[in-house]
Parts: sequence; C-alpha cells; structure tokens
Amino acid sequence: MSERELGRKLDRCLADGVIKLGTGLGLGIVFSVLFFKRHAWPISFGSGAGLGMAYANCQNDLRWHYLLHRNPKVALADETTQR
Amino acid sequence: MATKLLPVVKLATKVGIAGGAVYVAYDSGLLGGSEQGSEALQKARAAVPPAIEEWMKYFGLQTQLPTIPNVEFSPVQAWNSGVRWTISRLSEAPTKASEMTTQGFQFVKDLLK
Repeated sequence: MSERELGRKLDRCLADGVIKLGTGLGLGIVFSVLFFKRHAWPISFGSGAGLGMAYANCQNDLRWHYLLHRNPKVALADETTQR
Repeated sequence: MATKLLPVVKLATKVGIAGGAVYVAYDSGLLGGSEQGSEALQKARAAVPPAIEEWMKYFGLQTQLPTIPNVEFSPVQAWNSGVRWTISRLSEAPTKASEMTTQGFQFVKDLLK
C-alpha cells in the first residue's frame, strides 16, 4: 500500500469518525428524549456505538489491502470446471 | 375509549419519530461504510452554511455568523513528511556540498586577489 493511499484512507477514517460520532450522538439524543426520560446514558451509548462503527470501518479499510480477495466470477468458473 | 387509545397513539408517534430518525440517518449514508461517511461529510459541508443563512433570513435575524474555523488537516499531506524531508535533503546533500565548496573556493580566491 502506497503512502498516498494510506494517507487517503486515514483521511477518510477521520471524516467517517466525525460523521459516525455525530450520527450516534443525534440518535442518542432522540432516543433519550423519546424513550428514556432524558437520561444521559443513551447519548453516551449512541456516541460509543458511532465511534465503534467508525473504528471497525477504518480497521477494515486498512486491512483491505492485505486480505485475499476472491473474484466471484472466477470462483464460479473454477467450480463449474471442477465438476 | 379515548383514554385507552391515547397512550397507544403517543407510543406510536414516539416510535415513528425514532424510526424515522434512524431511517433518515441510514438512507443518507451516515451509518454505511467509510466511503459513504466521508461523502456525507463533504455533502454536509457544502449544504449546511447556505441552509443556516436561509433560516437566519427566514427568522429575520441579521447577526453576522462567525466564520467557520478552517481545521483542514489532511494526513495525505502530513503523512511521513519528516521522513520525506530528511530523505530529500540527504539526496540533495552531495550536490549542495559541492556547490558550497565551489562557492567557498571562489570566495577565498577573491579574497586572495
């Protein structure tokens, strides 16, 4: 993976983290107000879930280059020839 | 009848609002992959300031909004910049050294004239 690509991925991770944190916070506030009598824990829970989603996305994005990918069309062709 | 129906309607409204919020978040790509997320951030950056201005006009508020601080930090630019700088200086070092030596000799020659 080139430096440039890595930088781009980290950039995307930061942007995604901001978006996910904001979304989690917003949904947490909505749920806290509507269902949980304005307790603070749904907000913390939503923000944490958002950050966790961003972290998982980022981890997956950074590992993507080192994983073996299987082309479905080639795999299907192999299976049909083996039969 | 109405007293029995009221809590149900209330709960249905609440569930509808919460479900709508989740649906809107999912539909606009806020809960998707990282590419969708960064795209959504770009869209929000482009869409939010004009919308705020529009609402300010709508409510008749004439206050000047503070400019959004530019917190543009791009890891693409900053990534490994120290290493890059060092390596480029090291690669330039022989040329620079020979140039400076020539200049030094020239200076000494001029002094001795």
